[in-house]
Amino acid sequence: MLDNLIHAALIMTTPILLAALGGLINRTGGIVNIGLDSMMLFGAMTALIVAADNGSWLLALAVAGGTGAFIGGLMSLVITRLKANEIIVGLGFSIVATGLARFILKSTYGVSGTLRLPDVTRLPVIDIPGVADVPVLGAMLSGHNVLTWFAWGMVPAAAWFLVRTRAGLRLRATGAGEKAARSLGLRPLAIRDASTLFAGFMAGLAGAYLSIGLVGIFNEGITAGRGFIALAAFYFGRNHPVMTALGALLFGFFDALQIRLQGRGFPPELVQTLPYVMVIVILAMLAWSAKKRNGART
Amino acid sequence: MAMPSTNPATYTGFSALKLIGTALLPFALALVVAGVVLAMAGHNPFDVYRLLALESFGSSKRIAATMAAATPLIFTGLGTAVAFRAGAFNVGVEGCVSIGGLAAAYVGFTFVTLPAALLLPFAMLAAALAGLAWMIIPGLLKARLDADEVVTTLMMNFIAVAIATWLVNGPLLAVGSANSATPMVAEAARLPRLMRGSTLNAGFLIALICVLLYWLWGKRTALGFETRLAGMSPRFATATGMNVPRLVLKMMLLSGALGGIAGGTHALGNVYRYVDGFSPGYGFVGIAVALLGRGNAWGILMAAILFGALSTSGATIQLFSDVPIEIVDILQGMVMIFAVARFGALGRKAA
Repeated sequence: MLDNLIHAALIMTTPILLAALGGLINRTGGIVNIGLDSMMLFGAMTALIVAADNGSWLLALAVAGGTGAFIGGLMSLVITRLKANEIIVGLGFSIVATGLARFILKSTYGVSGTLRLPDVTRLPVIDIPGVADVPVLGAMLSGHNVLTWFAWGMVPAAAWFLVRTRAGLRLRATGAGEKAARSLGLRPLAIRDASTLFAGFMAGLAGAYLSIGLVGIFNEGITAGRGFIALAAFYFGRNHPVMTALGALLFGFFDALQIRLQGRGFPPELVQTLPYVMVIVILAMLAWSAKKRNGART
Repeated sequence: MAMPSTNPATYTGFSALKLIGTALLPFALALVVAGVVLAMAGHNPFDVYRLLALESFGSSKRIAATMAAATPLIFTGLGTAVAFRAGAFNVGVEGCVSIGGLAAAYVGFTFVTLPAALLLPFAMLAAALAGLAWMIIPGLLKARLDADEVVTTLMMNFIAVAIATWLVNGPLLAVGSANSATPMVAEAARLPRLMRGSTLNAGFLIALICVLLYWLWGKRTALGFETRLAGMSPRFATATGMNVPRLVLKMMLLSGALGGIAGGTHALGNVYRYVDGFSPGYGFVGIAVALLGRGNAWGILMAAILFGALSTSGATIQLFSDVPIEIVDILQGMVMIFAVARFGALGRKAA
């Protein structure tokens, strides 16, 4: 039972974690990415199509990440070059993506809502002999697919990138102040675009995880708002990779829990709201402590 | 997060001509992009658009259908605009639509013994109050603690829909109903129809009154002036002795009430109950309406009618042609994106 829950929680964490790390980098560079869900949706769709057509999961991942990055790039250009408000553009992208996905399903595949393709190559699952049978540890380490390992590998990588590398420092400088960054000779807009490309790439992978990792089909509601949960995760983690990963893990746990709570008399709809409630609570606490600090100074 | 770079408050005070020009450009661009999508799918965009126009405004019946579809969007557009004008970036009207619709439906099927003269106002009031109540938490957080209202209101949307879904699947589920829906509201709670054979109802008249009130509020009242001032420069407004947090809270609550009324008119005028998937994004389209209308009362009315035309004609062209209705979502989202894009920024060198 416990092993099951741990395993399921980690499975549900991966898509949130992937997108959240992308969104974290994006936000560090100064853009709040509300459009993660749209990139995830198209990553999921293209991954399935490529995995069925071509049969290579690696190519499917590349195309999904590329598609997400492409959408992210478009969104970023509208925000940085046309000075459009990031929130509105993000919401707009989400609306367009949902409509466009359904439109493509109907006009290209003649199906409504769900796309099933034959011979979909799924993401390989890594079973670790010996460890697999150990209680708890086996559930944590064995039987997860390649993207889960990649996602958790990206957590220390992101932390190292932000703190230790020149590019990470420049990204943080850009997020801290556009003018300041420019006076240092940086090109803040290009740096921001690059961070959105990365966010789109990660969200595209998250989508691929859902379609060719978890279920093997594509559905218009496959993301189930996970792009927004990812947003909640990096707000929860206050842009620290490790804290964000903990947030993603917590929300993945809720996700796994609400599936198990179905049919036990406890309303799963209310469990699903927990990530959103927690973000509001955390924002309130942060704002409250910031106000207290400011109040003490004056 | 910093306040959005496009302060919506600055949209007010445009001349009428410039208003129309700035509103038409995003729409024209959206038509071009959606036209490309249509052409790629093998449809002739001009034929599709001609059909859309015909199905929106081709006959008095179609015009009535357009106005009916525009009704909730007028409310959500106004609701978004009042918060924007005060400098509060409220994206939570969508949640208020659900909560307001549920409240109106609840009153409508519970207090069935009341006469229409009491029940209908009571149900509408419940919708407004429920929407208002839904904005208390993000409103207080924004006004008192300056917590990021974009994220809190966005999160409140998901919570609202989840709570409503839970209620209509359990406690408020109609007896013997297989799908997640409340019982039907009493006859006495239904908004009267304005035209035979059309869903156009008295909610549209309430919406028009609200547009007029919004216009008067912006032009003629001290509160409207103060709100605009607070939205444009909170520090200056504070320096003149205004209580800006209090004003922001008031406008957030008003915004929520308008969202609630949108849900109320939809529940009591169209669907006569609350069902899962109640709002097809009325609150989000309301953001596009407010932006396209540039916060101006008549601009919002026109933008709402435009989006209403899209959604009503989109539903019918699917019947007459094989063009998927989703082209409407694509158009709506595109208008939203282009409405905030500043093409003048392209040629300019960054300062």
